[in-house]
Amino acid sequence: MIGQVLGHYRIVSKIGEGGMGVVYRAHDEVLHRDVALKVVSKNVGLDQSTSQDLLREARASSALSHPNICTIHEVGETNGELYIVMELVEGKSLRSLIGDTGLPIESVLRYGVQIANALGRAHDRGIIHRDLKSSNVVVTSEGLVKVLDFGLAKHVASAIFEGSTRSFQTGPDASMVSGTLPYMAPEILRGEGADYRSDLWALGVVLYEAASGRLPFEGRTSFEISSSIMREMPKPLGPPVLPALWATIQRCLAKEPMQRYQRASEVQAALEAVQSAVVISTDAAADRGGPRTTVLHNVQHIHVRKGDFLLLVGTTKGAFVLRSNIQRNRWEVGGPYFHGHAVYAMAYDDRDGQHRLWASTQSYWGTLLRSSDDFGKSWTNPQEAPIRFPADTGVSLKNIWQICLGRPEEPDILYCGVEPAALFQSRDAGESWSLVRGLFDHPHRPRWVPGNGGLALHTIVLDPANTQRMYVAISAGGVYRTDDGGGTWTAQNRGIRVVFMPGKYPEFGQCVHKMAMHPNRPERLFLQNHWGLYRSDDCAENWTDIANGVPSDFGFPVVVHPKNPDWVYVLPVDSDEFRCSCDGRLRVYRTRNAGASWEPLMRGLPQKRAYETVLRDAMTADSLDPAGIYFGTRSGQLYGSTDEGKNWKKILDGLPSVVCVKSAVIGDPSVFRSPRPRQAAATSSRSRRSTGKSTTRRGKS
Amino acid sequence: MSVTFQIPGPLREFTGGRTAVEIEASGGVLEDALKALWTCYPGLRDRIATEQGHIREHINLFLGDEDVRYTGGLMTPVPAGSVISIVNAVSGGCGSPS
Repeated sequence: MIGQVLGHYRIVSKIGEGGMGVVYRAHDEVLHRDVALKVVSKNVGLDQSTSQDLLREARASSALSHPNICTIHEVGETNGELYIVMELVEGKSLRSLIGDTGLPIESVLRYGVQIANALGRAHDRGIIHRDLKSSNVVVTSEGLVKVLDFGLAKHVASAIFEGSTRSFQTGPDASMVSGTLPYMAPEILRGEGADYRSDLWALGVVLYEAASGRLPFEGRTSFEISSSIMREMPKPLGPPVLPALWATIQRCLAKEPMQRYQRASEVQAALEAVQSAVVISTDAAADRGGPRTTVLHNVQHIHVRKGDFLLLVGTTKGAFVLRSNIQRNRWEVGGPYFHGHAVYAMAYDDRDGQHRLWASTQSYWGTLLRSSDDFGKSWTNPQEAPIRFPADTGVSLKNIWQICLGRPEEPDILYCGVEPAALFQSRDAGESWSLVRGLFDHPHRPRWVPGNGGLALHTIVLDPANTQRMYVAISAGGVYRTDDGGGTWTAQNRGIRVVFMPGKYPEFGQCVHKMAMHPNRPERLFLQNHWGLYRSDDCAENWTDIANGVPSDFGFPVVVHPKNPDWVYVLPVDSDEFRCSCDGRLRVYRTRNAGASWEPLMRGLPQKRAYETVLRDAMTADSLDPAGIYFGTRSGQLYGSTDEGKNWKKILDGLPSVVCVKSAVIGDPSVFRSPRPRQAAATSSRSRRSTGKSTTRRGKS
Repeated sequence: MSVTFQIPGPLREFTGGRTAVEIEASGGVLEDALKALWTCYPGLRDRIATEQGHIREHINLFLGDEDVRYTGGLMTPVPAGSVISIVNAVSGGCGSPS
């Protein structure tokens, strides 16, 4: 045939051979374009009238113009041979792309939608394909699907079918049947004839094949295949095939046409719904679901044992966990965790027998609450941010400033103080969080103003005895207290002076930097404000200025001694404008009389050109005996004292800016006991859990 | 409609390590493409957008070479075959301690 001219088509080369005949590449001598030219084999067994039907139908099909349908340009007859001239499609057959394992689900859906779209157009024009199969679908290099041979198969297929019914297993047409029979709908096999829905059955077979690499109805012989089509259910397709796609395929493969989709557009819509509503790739499917655990690389890990002492250090560029024993003089450093993320809040939670570290991380990519149950070797990295403002608030989370454990008897309760100023609560050990509306909806809230660090709720203090009472500190909003478990809140700032408002003693709006309570005396609270050191002895009803002898009453942290409720530690800085240690001398100030007087603690701390800043959560106490006090500076130095502040040592240098320091003792019942109710504890100087802002622990005894 | 997202290193943990993902989006604007992206790779949503649906301040999305902030934001038309790059901005640090 090569070189011959049929009509005005010069045959250039042979492309392939199929059930209907041979396909050639040909050149249209009139329109000067390359086309595909199919010469219908005489062996197909068409009689004269069938040939005419075929010609008529092919001409009707040639009216189909659709991007997913291979256009028929012309049908003709010459020397008794039928030929069909078609758009030349360069690509690969879907059959060859599917291979033995099937296609990625993304491709199955993309191709399936296009095939369904093509069928829909043809059906609207009254044309049924009748021989849709994966080898009749070509995919171009751009991913465009072209369905071939629309409307050409009716007579050929019926001729083949009639032949195959005569001799399923040994007949001369068996090889031809094998290419088509597996796609035949039950009604065709029953001799009831094909309609649109038979094409949808075939589409179901193609989808099944594309998704799995195998046919839904198989057999060694034509009889077995037909029997399977008529009676058996296809083997279910599990992951990575999505349930919604499998449901769509199943409905295409309903034995009764009435139970199938009734229109191709319905199949298309179903596939598009799968496409837009579910995971497209297999790997992504594995990403769905609960929190992920991220194992960090290039990170030093520590091995923590019972009785170890830990310092949790949050910085603006990541977190560190330092391990020591109760001597606290040699340190092993784990981290940095969360490279580049600011960690403003950390906590250790050993309630209910767990050993869980909590950390908040803030970066370009948002703010997350994360946890580790193996002391930092792995951390959760939840897909969805666990702490999020409800849509109706119109507010977005900027940072988590405080992680506060609930009382020991409420091991599933956690609180987070966040920016913009709000309180979140979890009642299921951190699995889910909800905004405490009573505070968020407070009429004062619109008039709170951000401090230099943002509008943050940075301190949460729980009354250990009264489970309905808790305090929060907001910069700049002041101190608020609830006596009904968070339902309602009152501003508690009486006696607290401000320098940045015309009225010096406003009801609220104070810029409190930190608040601390000693659990043995929950009616007593201490405040370090933006200018001002205060104490309340009546549950924050009234505040007294206690800046008696400090070089400056401007500072950030305030820490209560773990045993003695009269001992308090602060780190004054020069002023609002110059937030550095006074006179270049890094000094901790301690009171041993609840603020009546203060003494500088400096032994081991730099006293020359030490212009340091210690931020609000960067100082903490431990609960050992003698008590340890620790702080980190904005310049990345970490200091500690194991004798209640008398002598200090530099623990680490060269860290990123330290914003959070917490301590933890890993369950040693000989050292720690559970906090007792206030009444019993009031006369005891025994070790207690530290304040709400520090790491809370509970003994195992 | 097929759209390709270029995924930056810090987010590849949520795309199975892929540097680029191709998504079928049902609509024609960036918001539609992002919705399809969230559906396929749920971990990306909260890292790129706030809980109120705004693109995070220091995250830039480029449609081709254009920052979408200047082409209509979430309503930016996204033609089929578009390539959208997710890039963190050079401005700012990681929060400012106070």
